[in-house]
Amino acid sequence: MFTQESTQATASKLIQAVPSALDEFRCPACSQVFATYDELRRHFDTVHPATIAPVTVALNLNGKNCEVLVEPHWTLKRTLQFRLGLTGAKHMCDKGVCGSCTVIVDGRAVLACTTLVLECEGKQIQTVEGIAADPKWKPLVDAYCKWDAMQCGYCTPGFLVSAKALLDKNPNPTEQECREALAGNICICGTYPRHSTAIVEAALKIAEGG
Amino acid sequence: MADIVGVNGQREEFKVVGKHNLPGKVSYALATGVAKFGADYVIPNMLHAKFLRSPYANAYVRSVDLSKAQALPGVVDIVTWEDEAIKALKPAMFGPVRPWLDNYADQEGIEVAVIVVAESEEICDEALRLLEIDWEILPHVVDIRKGKEDNAPIIRPEDKIFGGGMFSAPPAKPRQGNVTYAETVQGDVDTAMAEAENVLEYELMLPAFSSHLPNPPGSVAWWQPNPYLGEGQILHFEGAVQRREQIGMMHGMTPDRTVQEGIFQGGKYCDWGMRRSQEITPLLAKRTGRPVRCVNTREDTFDFLMNQRYMYMKIGFTNEGLITAIDDFSVADGGIEGSSSFGAANDQGYGPYYTMKCLNIRQWMEIVDSNRGKMYLSGQHCPFNWDSGTMAIYLVAEKLGKDPIDIAQLNLHGPDSQEDDRPVPSFEACLDAGRKLMNWNHHPAGMKKMPDGRYHGASFRYQICPRHAFSGYNCKLELRNGVVHMPTQGPVTGIFAVECNAMVVAEELGLTYDDVVVDFDYREPFTPVGGGSDGSTASAWAMKECANLLKKQILEWAIEDAENPPPAGFGGPPPGGPSPLKGYKPEDLDMIDGRVVLKNDHSVGLPLHQATNRHIIATYHGRPPAAIWSLGMGKMLDTMNTAYCEVAVDPDTGEVEVLRFGVVADPGKVLRPTSLESQIDQVMFFSQGCQLLEDFVYDERTGVRLNNNMIDYKKPTMLDVAPVERQFLETRAGNAAYGASGISHSLANTHMVVIAIHNAIGVWVDPPATPDKILKALGKA
Ligand code: FES
Ligand code: FES
Repeated sequence: MFTQESTQATASKLIQAVPSALDEFRCPACSQVFATYDELRRHFDTVHPATIAPVTVALNLNGKNCEVLVEPHWTLKRTLQFRLGLTGAKHMCDKGVCGSCTVIVDGRAVLACTTLVLECEGKQIQTVEGIAADPKWKPLVDAYCKWDAMQCGYCTPGFLVSAKALLDKNPNPTEQECREALAGNICICGTYPRHSTAIVEAALKIAEGG
Repeated sequence: MADIVGVNGQREEFKVVGKHNLPGKVSYALATGVAKFGADYVIPNMLHAKFLRSPYANAYVRSVDLSKAQALPGVVDIVTWEDEAIKALKPAMFGPVRPWLDNYADQEGIEVAVIVVAESEEICDEALRLLEIDWEILPHVVDIRKGKEDNAPIIRPEDKIFGGGMFSAPPAKPRQGNVTYAETVQGDVDTAMAEAENVLEYELMLPAFSSHLPNPPGSVAWWQPNPYLGEGQILHFEGAVQRREQIGMMHGMTPDRTVQEGIFQGGKYCDWGMRRSQEITPLLAKRTGRPVRCVNTREDTFDFLMNQRYMYMKIGFTNEGLITAIDDFSVADGGIEGSSSFGAANDQGYGPYYTMKCLNIRQWMEIVDSNRGKMYLSGQHCPFNWDSGTMAIYLVAEKLGKDPIDIAQLNLHGPDSQEDDRPVPSFEACLDAGRKLMNWNHHPAGMKKMPDGRYHGASFRYQICPRHAFSGYNCKLELRNGVVHMPTQGPVTGIFAVECNAMVVAEELGLTYDDVVVDFDYREPFTPVGGGSDGSTASAWAMKECANLLKKQILEWAIEDAENPPPAGFGGPPPGGPSPLKGYKPEDLDMIDGRVVLKNDHSVGLPLHQATNRHIIATYHGRPPAAIWSLGMGKMLDTMNTAYCEVAVDPDTGEVEVLRFGVVADPGKVLRPTSLESQIDQVMFFSQGCQLLEDFVYDERTGVRLNNNMIDYKKPTMLDVAPVERQFLETRAGNAAYGASGISHSLANTHMVVIAIHNAIGVWVDPPATPDKILKALGKA
């Protein structure tokens, strides 16, 4: 059963499970594993000299510092899924048009599929898991579930992150302001009319202290 | 028909069913991103796989040299169509009827000939680029009207049938060139047409419409030693919810050795086909000894929900507006191998005219094989040509200067047959409410300008609410530790069918919705789908029977435990002495508000968990009695829906604004209103998209589809969609739980907005009615 409590706990666990430091360095070209980054670099220089070597990036993710090994062209979306175990940001269009991969970086809603992870070094990244784990945002999650602001649910985390980014800036939005803020999120199941209802209700609850 | 034979089908008081705002049983997982879809799975030490995809619309791979690709560091395996293991594969379901993968590509972008497995997707891409392929490029057809010409290149000349899969229809005459023929005839169309007081002719073009699955299809598979079954391995597989057993069987595995724990299927709009990326990973994982992931890109995911179709209609009718002859000629895209015959011949059976009194109907269809795209089964828009009838009603009304609603009423046959002249109560009730909802005041085409100078148009359509007729359900309920559990494999597709079932269980057992625990377990047989949206209500009918079987046992055990309580400490009597149920019979009891109580004195009783703590299981297999709709081959009517649309058309810019949609529907009985409303919104969103924005664009020269990405293929956004005003009626006339019917996809439409545009400007504009087409129709471009 998926309840508010159980999913909040799962989200917290997923955040806890993000490794703070790398304990192995796997070659992306041949999967050989090394104990240090320097060893991996030497391996690259000798075995894969024509390939661009992976790099390490320090991130602050949902309030937690962590380090990842990625290839320089990797997007934040890909890094979240394939290195950090966070799959709340979804891959739908992979072209920056659907909002399914929305995350918040330094307070702004950004599209993780078109953001290079290298650009995120030293920035504060918040994903849907971070919002789900924070009790402050329980009214928003509750309202989404109460109003069925989802059908298949694939786009929903992206909408929820956009909604949270809106409420950060405008804690008392009108329905029209909600629609404008969420116009960059595409729901193929057509759940649009639901979102502003949920957000406006959640905003009131949050203002009342949850 | 109504739910007369089911237990409590005539229930009058509802405490749970019909309640708004009960969260879905998995909604918290979906909203928080905790839910994992097939594409989300990442397994340690995982490899990636990619298919070679054809750059040509129609071509053979005559040979391929793998040596350079094999030499690329990071490439782990390359499989081709010539490998015995590939030759042995058979599609899991609704797949191509050709070999599972061969050297022939009948569509640009389709999987062909080679699969590469490597350490990363980039290495797969690089290896695919390094393949040295000898292509034999054949001429192609991406315009169906050209495809039927005598000198058109023949696509797949070896094909004997069209419309692979379960809905194939027999051809009406031998195939010629690319064309297969299908025909259904009722009455004497030629005579009726000759005798008609009026005749009108019109054309429709239905553009192809993307199925546009939200989550790109794909899978991850790995093999593990089997901890319980001794010898051999088990296949662990994610990414093809509902098809676990079939995919296991493709790879020689029995269901008990095929594990798939994920329950989240994502959006599946009546598209039940598996993609090759969902079927291949077990083989690749076996060959490489490592987990393998294969996921389609967005560009790979632009399959059709609706094939392109051209229609030419001729309608004979009386001076009153009674339609007496229908001659329906259409040219439909046969798509590629494996396309469904929904959207083609199968539409004739499900035809758009079975609600009409007209007894003279000919449907002649030419299905043209093409190199356009694939449609896996059917869509939210199935049956696709229903709006050819909607247009007939509108045009007859326009010609006679009448209201289309009056023409629809005149033409709709009665509840029992085409010869039945009586009104259909559900339809009449929908119309009464619809006229009020929309403030309906029909005006002739091009006759109403709004204060801002734009033209106003309005349209109306109706349909049946389809009722479930076919599938049976294996239901199971358990009382465990005093709590009712409903085990199910799901799937979780967004239709909230599991929730409808849980609500019915709660209703029948006197519990709250939250009291019913849904156990998602891939091994459980219960799956509340089938027959489309009506699967929710039909499965809920079967689950209602099951709930009452459980209830009977609970009451029997409550008495047994009251008479012969187990010793204290082993579930014995509660503190305070013997059970208040002692001395009664099961038939004296009821379950109300979470308690087992005396029927005639609800204050006497025990909470369910105290009444008995036995482990009780009830099962039921069955389905609602077949709907009159199916028994009557579509010639009987009970539950109906009506939809309305208002538009404003700017004659200077050609821009169309849908001012509002209105829906008055009678689903018989509303089980879960929140999701029903949402599904109505969805079909209107689909309908607005396909009439104003969406179409596939092909390069005629190369046969390449030009807009298979979400930048170029536009879906409506939150700012584009019109408000949808909905009203539900409950005549209880359906055949599923409490007289409910399915509803949503019968409201999907291809021409309601376009008819409203005609009503605004007096000119036809084929969908999608983009501003350039509107201006052209107005002679301004
Ligand atoms: S997946 Fe990133 S915007 Fe669509
Ligand atoms: S809920 Fe399915 S895509 Fe939005």
